[in-house]
Amino acid sequence: MAASTYSPSQGTERRQRQQQMRRLSIQSDWDRSDGRSFIQCRPAFLRTGAANAASGSAYAEFGTTKVIVSVFGPRESKKAMMYSDNGRLNCNVTFTTFATSLRGQGSDNKEYSAMLHKALEGAVILETFPKTTVDVFALVLESGGSDLPVIISCASLALADAGIMMYDLVSSVSVSCIGKNILIDPTNEEEVCQDGSLVLACMPARNEVTQLTLTGEWSLPKINEQAMELCMDACLKLAGIMRSCLKESANLSN
Amino acid sequence: MTQSGQMETTTIGGGEGATGMAAQMEVEAFRRLFPLPFYDRHLSKSVRPDARTLDSARETTISLGPVASADGSALVKIGETTMLAAIKLEVMTPSTESPDEGSIAVEFYMPPICSPMVRPGRPAEVAPVISQQLSDVIMSSRMVNLKELCLISGKASWIAYLDVYCLNADGSLFDAALLSAVAAFTHLQIPLVSVNEEGRVFTVSGEQQEKTKLELVNKEKRKLSIGNTPFPVTCVIHKEHILVDPTAEEEAVMETSITIVLDTLGNLVSIYKPGGVGLASTATIKECISRTKRRMQDLKIILEEAVSVMEVD
Repeated sequence: MAASTYSPSQGTERRQRQQQMRRLSIQSDWDRSDGRSFIQCRPAFLRTGAANAASGSAYAEFGTTKVIVSVFGPRESKKAMMYSDNGRLNCNVTFTTFATSLRGQGSDNKEYSAMLHKALEGAVILETFPKTTVDVFALVLESGGSDLPVIISCASLALADAGIMMYDLVSSVSVSCIGKNILIDPTNEEEVCQDGSLVLACMPARNEVTQLTLTGEWSLPKINEQAMELCMDACLKLAGIMRSCLKESANLSN
Repeated sequence: MTQSGQMETTTIGGGEGATGMAAQMEVEAFRRLFPLPFYDRHLSKSVRPDARTLDSARETTISLGPVASADGSALVKIGETTMLAAIKLEVMTPSTESPDEGSIAVEFYMPPICSPMVRPGRPAEVAPVISQQLSDVIMSSRMVNLKELCLISGKASWIAYLDVYCLNADGSLFDAALLSAVAAFTHLQIPLVSVNEEGRVFTVSGEQQEKTKLELVNKEKRKLSIGNTPFPVTCVIHKEHILVDPTAEEEAVMETSITIVLDTLGNLVSIYKPGGVGLASTATIKECISRTKRRMQDLKIILEEAVSVMEVD
């Protein structure tokens, strides 16, 4: 279409968002839109084996954020022409055009692809598949906030489903700072009015952090004690849920 | 002869078409190395490797409304082939030749998750072909009356962006894609809108409507009336056999496929036979059409069930 089109909900959304931001910056305590407390994550729904064409796959649903990840490999790749003792990990994150409330382009999200690669690279044992490549493809079906942590957790579940050797499962959560409050696992509306954000990906059983990204303005004096400890604790619980999901699917296939 | 559908490591005696090497071999290896003789043996007994008969299709499920952020959406599974279709409505100025008609923009995507053949830099060859096919069939079957997509004649009308994503590719891609597009249109709910002074259209939520008594442009028209729905069936032709609803393996081994689209009144909407080694006589095409008629009845029932489930919610 040569002529430009617009979505009728653009104007109303912007007004609502401005109203909410004004309200939240004044208040010190409020109810979250889905009834959670500040330190409560959304209920997680995880399933492996969503796509049978791939070596391993996983589907994750955290509230309205829906992500599907497929893992192919280890397989040969045209890029790895030189012999190398270590395998390669190739990550790609795409959003569907209907993932966001305003229709998007549907192209690859290079930033998330690079961050996913960094988060998983420390956990995958690359020496076990020399000269070959493991491809991790993520497709975000619906983006409801806290997208990157869901993508990372779902990707490590898919890698486990494909049988790629890893040191430990990688689970990830994010935390938003609004005024003086910390909210864990923010939704889209909360992310829009946040002052700062912290995305943490870690291997809970080894108590090691694979990726930590801190952005924005934090008005808290001690970020480490409050925000990071909260994240590590949530990651531990999420890894427990991921493990039980893998056990369930292993039992089903037997 | 091993039982179809079971993965047993039984030896197969060498048959016609297979060399002496195949005399003692496992089933899976035989399937990879000599796919055509593997299928010939199955077809001579009128059965397929997944234990289906030649004219039975795989289990089909339709679920409406999986994507909450879209105005209409549907998820369709035919066997392992999974398609997700979603419609997003945006406002556009209609063209001068047809000032009281909206339009539909169809796009078919095959993201890298759906098949090992697709890579991020190397898109699937078949994706734009199916995209064009979908567009042609939806327009020519007149399933959607474009005049219903008009808001204000000459000034504003809806454009429906229909995006179909293949989540898992295992044969019969066009069938699943068209079915999901039809189901998404059935599920489509047009939002309530009103117009401001500058002529810009904006959405109105239920409570706002009572509070401000805004003039609603399309109060009555919330759902599209779907005309004759088109239903597709893909078959592959191999020598004198016709296989309905092929898997990806069957499509690759037997390269001749033919897709027939019929609508609910029994009219022929489209016949598509993209070349291929096998030649289809008129008798073969008539046979395919009668298979399509039978399958259409099953698909109609499945679609109606999905719609009634949604309405109960």
